[in-house]
Amino acid sequence: MRRSLSLAAIIVTALLLQTTIFADVKLLGARPELMYLVTIVIAILEGPDSGAIVGFAGGMSQDFLLDAPKGITALTLTLLGYTMGQLRQYIVSPSPVLPVFLVGGGTFVGVLFYGLVSFLLGQLDTGTLNLFRMATLSAAYNAILTPLVYPVLRRAFAGSRSRKLRW
Amino acid sequence: MALRKRTRSTRLLVVILVSVSLLTITVDYRQGDSGPLASVGSAALAIISPLQEAVSKVTHPIGNFFSTLTRLPSIRAENERLRNQVADLQAQIAIVASNEDRIKELENLLQIQASLGKNVRTTGALVIANGVSNFEWTVSINKGSSDGVKIDMPVVVGGVDTTTARLVGHVVKVSPDYSIVQLIIDPDSAVAGRLEQSRQTGILTGQGGSDLRMGLVDASTPVAPGELVTTAGYRIPGVASSLYPPGIVIGTVSRELDNPAALEKFVTVRPAVDFASLDYVLVVLSSGSG
Repeated sequence: MRRSLSLAAIIVTALLLQTTIFADVKLLGARPELMYLVTIVIAILEGPDSGAIVGFAGGMSQDFLLDAPKGITALTLTLLGYTMGQLRQYIVSPSPVLPVFLVGGGTFVGVLFYGLVSFLLGQLDTGTLNLFRMATLSAAYNAILTPLVYPVLRRAFAGSRSRKLRW
Repeated sequence: MALRKRTRSTRLLVVILVSVSLLTITVDYRQGDSGPLASVGSAALAIISPLQEAVSKVTHPIGNFFSTLTRLPSIRAENERLRNQVADLQAQIAIVASNEDRIKELENLLQIQASLGKNVRTTGALVIANGVSNFEWTVSINKGSSDGVKIDMPVVVGGVDTTTARLVGHVVKVSPDYSIVQLIIDPDSAVAGRLEQSRQTGILTGQGGSDLRMGLVDASTPVAPGELVTTAGYRIPGVASSLYPPGIVIGTVSRELDNPAALEKFVTVRPAVDFASLDYVLVVLSSGSG
């Protein structure tokens, strides 16, 4: 219960930040994708099921709030959360910069996937080249933000997980 | 065993979530902006927008700061452009102001021209240069013999604030397109002047940078500082006449020189014209009387 509440709080916070502070920040035509960042970080920390759930809930909320074509972000982030959670289990590396690379790569692939689905639905407003540019920039911004977000989320989940068995 | 069960349930979860997502996409795609999903979206927006507003109030300055940072180069360029624009506009304002002064001055010149009388022909001229020598007080004007200017013609000026003709000097040298005017403060200049109250006449000679000196005034004449001195404009038919028409303001009495033993009185007269800022002048081409 407590964990669900923290997840909900994190999603709402990410949504609020994305639509307020990051709505103003647009570097070279692209902005950070906070929901992608949160989904990937939680998938890394908590595994594929939490990743998929957060991705779905966060993506769906964002779709409904941002007046975007509904469901595409949810689909993207569900798959992204699940994949990153699975991937994390196969990578054995103590490197502290691993999350930075995972977030960067995951965001890049995620944005491209979102673009692909939008394209298939005929709702992609931009060209392929620009889509790649946006994916690259968003991935870079998210990677830069990771060292700030990752420790906060790890701490939040270390608290909510304390009574559970660690493996 | 437990791990496999967990993996299976995770897969099931993902399949369900993906299915719901795809369903949402399909429903939204088919219904567009009018379906139930759209109304759910606007309801969600209504719930979260007060929160957004609250957060926005706190974070907007931060966002502004960052977006300002990212737009710094363009802001700098814009700043430069605006500065240049301000400089341009200030220059234009200065030009407009000086043009207004000029217009006023020219209007006054026109009135002076009219006040000199119908028969008096005049021509306006622009002062183009000041005298080159320290011992000559002259100015060059942009009208010459081709405009009818001749030697000894009087030159007067109006001003921004007055429509009274004030004496500048007379033409001493003429070429086709420009002339040289000797100012009344030139030491070689002598003008017959009349004290406005006592109607006594005298001769005003230039003293360069300082006030004019008026001599040959009757010793018993009462003179008050501030008294107006105008041109006397005497005329002895067939013999001689003064260069200047009568009634043109020369200046005001500034001081009476104390000399009880002398048979004549000397007073100093401050010229009414600021010779340092001469701009437009009027050359009197004919006196009207002959």
